[in-house]
Amino acid sequence: MAVIGSGGAGLRAAIEAADQGASTILVSNGGIGKSGATMIAGADVTLDGGGAERIGLAGNEDDTEENFFHDILVQGYYLNNQKLVEAYVRDAAARTKELIDWGMKYTWDGKRAVLTQGPDINRVLVEQVKKRNITLLEDIFVTDLMTQGMTVVGAFGVDIERGVFKEIKAKAVVIATGGWQRAYSFTSAPGGLSGGLHAAAYRAGADLVNMEMVTFCPNVTLWPPALRGDIFPYILIEMFGDLLDKHGRPFLRDEYDPLIYKIATTTEWNKLIFSMAATRIVLRGDGSPSGGTYYSIKSVPLNIIAEAEKLYPGWRWIRTDFSDLMDWLKQGNAVEVAPAAHYMEGGILVNEHAGTTLKGLYAAGECSGGLFGANRVASAITQILVQGAIAGKSAAAFAKKANLKAPDKEQLKQVQSRLTHPFAQKTGARSVDVKKRIRKIADEHLWVIRNGQGLQQAITELQSIAENELPRVSIQTGTRVYNKEWIDAIELESMILVLQASARAALMRTESRGVHNRSDYPKANNDKWLKEIIVREANGRMVLRTRPVAVTKTKLPRGKFGFEEGIIKAVKELGE
Amino acid sequence: MTIKTAKVKVSRFDPSKDASPHYQTYEVPWYPKMTIMDALDYIYENLDPSLAYHSHTSCHRRTCTRCNLTVNSKPGLSCHTEVNGDITVEPLPRFKVIRDLVVAGL
Repeated sequence: MAVIGSGGAGLRAAIEAADQGASTILVSNGGIGKSGATMIAGADVTLDGGGAERIGLAGNEDDTEENFFHDILVQGYYLNNQKLVEAYVRDAAARTKELIDWGMKYTWDGKRAVLTQGPDINRVLVEQVKKRNITLLEDIFVTDLMTQGMTVVGAFGVDIERGVFKEIKAKAVVIATGGWQRAYSFTSAPGGLSGGLHAAAYRAGADLVNMEMVTFCPNVTLWPPALRGDIFPYILIEMFGDLLDKHGRPFLRDEYDPLIYKIATTTEWNKLIFSMAATRIVLRGDGSPSGGTYYSIKSVPLNIIAEAEKLYPGWRWIRTDFSDLMDWLKQGNAVEVAPAAHYMEGGILVNEHAGTTLKGLYAAGECSGGLFGANRVASAITQILVQGAIAGKSAAAFAKKANLKAPDKEQLKQVQSRLTHPFAQKTGARSVDVKKRIRKIADEHLWVIRNGQGLQQAITELQSIAENELPRVSIQTGTRVYNKEWIDAIELESMILVLQASARAALMRTESRGVHNRSDYPKANNDKWLKEIIVREANGRMVLRTRPVAVTKTKLPRGKFGFEEGIIKAVKELGE
Repeated sequence: MTIKTAKVKVSRFDPSKDASPHYQTYEVPWYPKMTIMDALDYIYENLDPSLAYHSHTSCHRRTCTRCNLTVNSKPGLSCHTEVNGDITVEPLPRFKVIRDLVVAGL
């Protein structure tokens, strides 16, 4: 069997599959442990206090799995697939213990979070992968799933360093490729997260779910260039500093209910509140020249800043150096910051066994959808570990019973012809230019605050690019060896697809829920919209449908509420 | 207003047809704190689409280290090394060159 993606979810899936006795291939679009979002995660692993107690941390036995389950639903605005949440809370402690046993460095926050660092999670997982008999394939851009009818029989892509096609035959495939943040121009995610396998799964006939749900991390660095996309100011603002508009006004403090300000500065609801507030400022024309707002620490006494530096000696964190940024801030300047595409709640539709709607296809981690509903607060690291292990186990069990099937030759011919098509084009636009235009559409219409008219425009523009320009995109570079134009052309195609799915779902959801906010439908409507939106291909067209949220034990609430009201309600329900 | 520029001298090499590497110099608009990656992106996007340098999964956080190359004879990460004046960019020494600045095994 094959695992596509070598961040935490893919590494954990491969470990599990190998332990189940499956002959396992781990495929990465970059280097194993050197690509994907895990390597740059902050990071924490969340689990309930009772579970923490059981694995030997100084936890709190009164904090049960049930409490944790309930809180994740409140945070997700009850759009969560409760079967997936049950698996998450059930396995969180065991997956955490395992990482600790494997030698991950950590500290325990005393409540629900094991604090660690992304590179260290990758280090221990890569060590475990290398101890097992797992075949590693690096720098392979998987573009398609090989199928026989509705059964997946492997993966197909381009070996970008050799410039040749790569056929990976497998009895089962796990997709663990993270989000599609790179469809936006401003993101906190690393390169390569372009939705390639979302698109491949969709083309093979799989369902996508909750594609309208995109979390933005507020206060992400626009300057200096080396730190563009870094979330450090978001971390700093938990300690001190203010967001200012172009008049130098601290808009959150000035314009919002003191309770909202307090929630934004003291709880994990900060992502949602700061993103919304900053976007409202930008939309009314009071933002910074680069389309963000300003972060300033001018009102903070220098000795308080010096005290905070003890947490980040020399203003370094993990391997990044923030000293330039801090010098600039300490001199009384503000830095431009903006919300950045950060985490995708939606993705490939899965059940609690990580199975998709296709036989032999499984998905784990951020590329899958449904667990966190309309808003994620609990850890995505726990998600990749729990779902990675489940997917590895399910796929290995499927592979044991399946026969290795030959791929459909006609399909492979079509895929190869699609992939090489741009080399034969002479007049069309360059892939990198089309990519930029697509990202602009995402930035403009699929940002923090959406509206029907903008979403409709995005759909029309994306459709036009897909029909008129994509077939004419040209590659000028002759060689296929590490051909950046070719990589861009491949990514471009999947970006259009995930954005179309996202825009259509966002247009269909005529309400505001969690991270999906529409100025023309500003209220959440529990009476009508506790439904997931599912996207699939039928006869060459993108078709949308809804299904009620899967409920296992917690009844769904009713009623309508606005943005601030919803947050205050949630915080009270959580007892924060 | 004159725009400041930087001359970026880049080692080019396609092992499938070149006997040895050669240099090509590009002039890019410069701004304070510009990184090597920014300069290479500018060249790829505006001047020469055939330039190969590692960026397809780069993390921009000094973590993946796959954008490592040689800048003015010293090793450095292209995502964090700043362009201060005219520069020469080459692949890391002692690695097999796949094409231009991309090497195998990093």
